[in-house]
Amino acid sequence: MTPVMRAEGNILLPVFAAASRSALLLPPLALLVLFFLTPLLYLFFVSFHAPSQSDLFGEGLTLGNYLRVIGDSFFLTIIERTMLTGALVALICLAIGYPAAFAIARMPPRHRLVALLLLLFPLMVSNVIRAYGWVAILGRRGVINSTLRNFGVIDLPLDLMFSTATVAVGLLTILLPYMIISLANSIAAIDPHYEEAAQSLRASPVRTFFHVTLPLSAPGMTSGLMIVFLLTLSAYVTVSLLGGPRTKMLVSLVFDSVVAFAWPRAAAFAFILLALALGVALIVPAVLRPGRVRGLG
Amino acid sequence: MTPPSAEFDVRLDRVSKTFGAVTAVRETTLDIPRGTFLSILGPSGCGKTTTLRMIAGFERPTTGNVYIRGARVTEVPPYKRDFSMVFQNFALFPHLDVAHNVGFGLRMRGLPRADIDREVAGVLDLVKLSGLADRFPRQLSGGQQQRVALARAIVMSPAVMLLDEPLGALDKNLREEMQIELRQLQQKLGITAVFVTHDQDEALALSDRIAVMRDGRIEQIGAPRDVYERPANEFVAGFFGVSNVMNGEVVHVDPDGIDIKIGEAGTVRLSFAAEPGRRIRVAVRPEKIRIARSNASLPLKARLTDVVYRGASTSFFLELGGQTLVAIRQNEGGREEGLKAGDAVVCGWDPNAAIKLADG
Ligand SMILES: Nc1ncnc2c1ncn2[C@@H]1O[C@H](COP(=O)(O)OP(=O)(O)OP(=O)(O)O)[C@@H](O)[C@H]1O
Ligand SMILES: [Mg+2]
Repeated sequence: MTPVMRAEGNILLPVFAAASRSALLLPPLALLVLFFLTPLLYLFFVSFHAPSQSDLFGEGLTLGNYLRVIGDSFFLTIIERTMLTGALVALICLAIGYPAAFAIARMPPRHRLVALLLLLFPLMVSNVIRAYGWVAILGRRGVINSTLRNFGVIDLPLDLMFSTATVAVGLLTILLPYMIISLANSIAAIDPHYEEAAQSLRASPVRTFFHVTLPLSAPGMTSGLMIVFLLTLSAYVTVSLLGGPRTKMLVSLVFDSVVAFAWPRAAAFAFILLALALGVALIVPAVLRPGRVRGLG
Repeated sequence: MTPPSAEFDVRLDRVSKTFGAVTAVRETTLDIPRGTFLSILGPSGCGKTTTLRMIAGFERPTTGNVYIRGARVTEVPPYKRDFSMVFQNFALFPHLDVAHNVGFGLRMRGLPRADIDREVAGVLDLVKLSGLADRFPRQLSGGQQQRVALARAIVMSPAVMLLDEPLGALDKNLREEMQIELRQLQQKLGITAVFVTHDQDEALALSDRIAVMRDGRIEQIGAPRDVYERPANEFVAGFFGVSNVMNGEVVHVDPDGIDIKIGEAGTVRLSFAAEPGRRIRVAVRPEKIRIARSNASLPLKARLTDVVYRGASTSFFLELGGQTLVAIRQNEGGREEGLKAGDAVVCGWDPNAAIKLADG
């Protein structure tokens, strides 16, 4: 090897290093473009067409699929229900998840790990099985109704299924661990010196919590709320099994349209869902400002 | 037991603290008079932080009692104690701007808004941060963050201000600047301060009193001049940079002092008292040792083992009577005698310069 070549090699070394690092990103990037971004763009294109009996979509461009949704109170009610259920589930998860997360975060590290692993346990059971579990509890011949009837409290079975509340309860139990894990990690990451500083400045433990710990856990609250909210938007099994035909959500509309081979309408619903998800992903951090805890205003 | 007096802002009464098998602080008694700047100085792990945290109430003593302004606070939680604290990493609340950080304690005290604003403005002025009230900690330099932390502690007018190596995070120049500012502020406001450091220069420069700790115990407490010039033992002497400790035998005693014999090197005069025939240990600061190629007034014969040029000074390593010493001489340009390793030299020191350590 000549000295000249060696010198060139040295100059190019950082470039190669950077290039080879980016190369690591290439396979997933290629997969993403090929199997996600391209179909998504195609779907977007499809959503601006009229339905067709024989083909995927009909001739000519139209805004009809979107306009129909905006003009139809049936669809608007479902969109509203979807958003309210998502918000409700996310906020209830936050409220009941926070104390648990706080307790876990304050455990010695080894216990904390065990607690987090236990939280992951229910996630190993399929959502279908868990939804049927709720049916077995809440259904007309479920545990609650048969118990109440055996004790003579009621004559006719209570209608506990297929309501927004049923869906919310089902989603809540599935999504709570995500919230707790995300909060616990965030709370555990708070430097204990902040809490000591607050106490050295006359803040009682309760005020220390509300003035320091709670705001400093904003990153965990943000990610927890976003994960839970977004997962409620895309949860199908739980919604269809516990909501039934009466309590539909946006995903149900997508599914129904696909089943009816109304591909362009299904695509339009999918993009409305995506737009709402993006909206949530923008609003939650804007309200909680997790950047604050790093002093970014 | 003497009743605790309000003249002392802080009193530790035979306080000790153990963590499992580790004893961090042993039976320590310490009184800190009002307005005193006390430094706790010692090597890593000697219990400085633990001592401070017991005053704050973040640690409960295993035995003994803590008093603040005469009131026993041993079981009182931190937020009900009259102190404030400057943390090593400053612990400024990242989600609050400078004004809200500084005003936090006053808000917790329930002061009216207008009073808080006035006090905060006043103290920010004092630490020269007036223009930065609405910045967030991340937007401040290290020195500015340090000033905010100080302001946040000062504004509480506490009985005692606790500082745990607050300058440790700053670079050398800024550190020296902040030392001076800290000292001036403390004197101006007359706040009692307990300052933890492992830097002896910092302790000497800042303190009214220095407590030197080792292994959970206070080895010596006194004014900077006392601990520096009359270290109570070899550890304290060593901590203040006296590396020269010699064994000698007392060969002559008279009312003015003693002569000791240091091995084969010779006999040297010291101005303190000791019994004839005893073996004693003495220490001499490197800058007090004079050396020359030949000089009738320097009584000890030695051999140079190494000469190290250090810019402002030169270090001479000596071997005499089987013991090793180091002498430091300020360089004055051209006055060097060209001494080099291997040379035979004579050395000695002023009889007052030697420090008597424990009898050997
Ligand atoms: N919470 C704790 N649990 C167990 N051991 C502890 C705890 N805090 C301190 N120790 C031990 O107590 C001893 C004194 O610790 P301390 O933090 O007071 O030392 P320090 O003088 O402040 O040291 P440094 O200069 O390194 O900060 C050390 O041996 C330390 O390991
Ligand atoms: Mg310490």
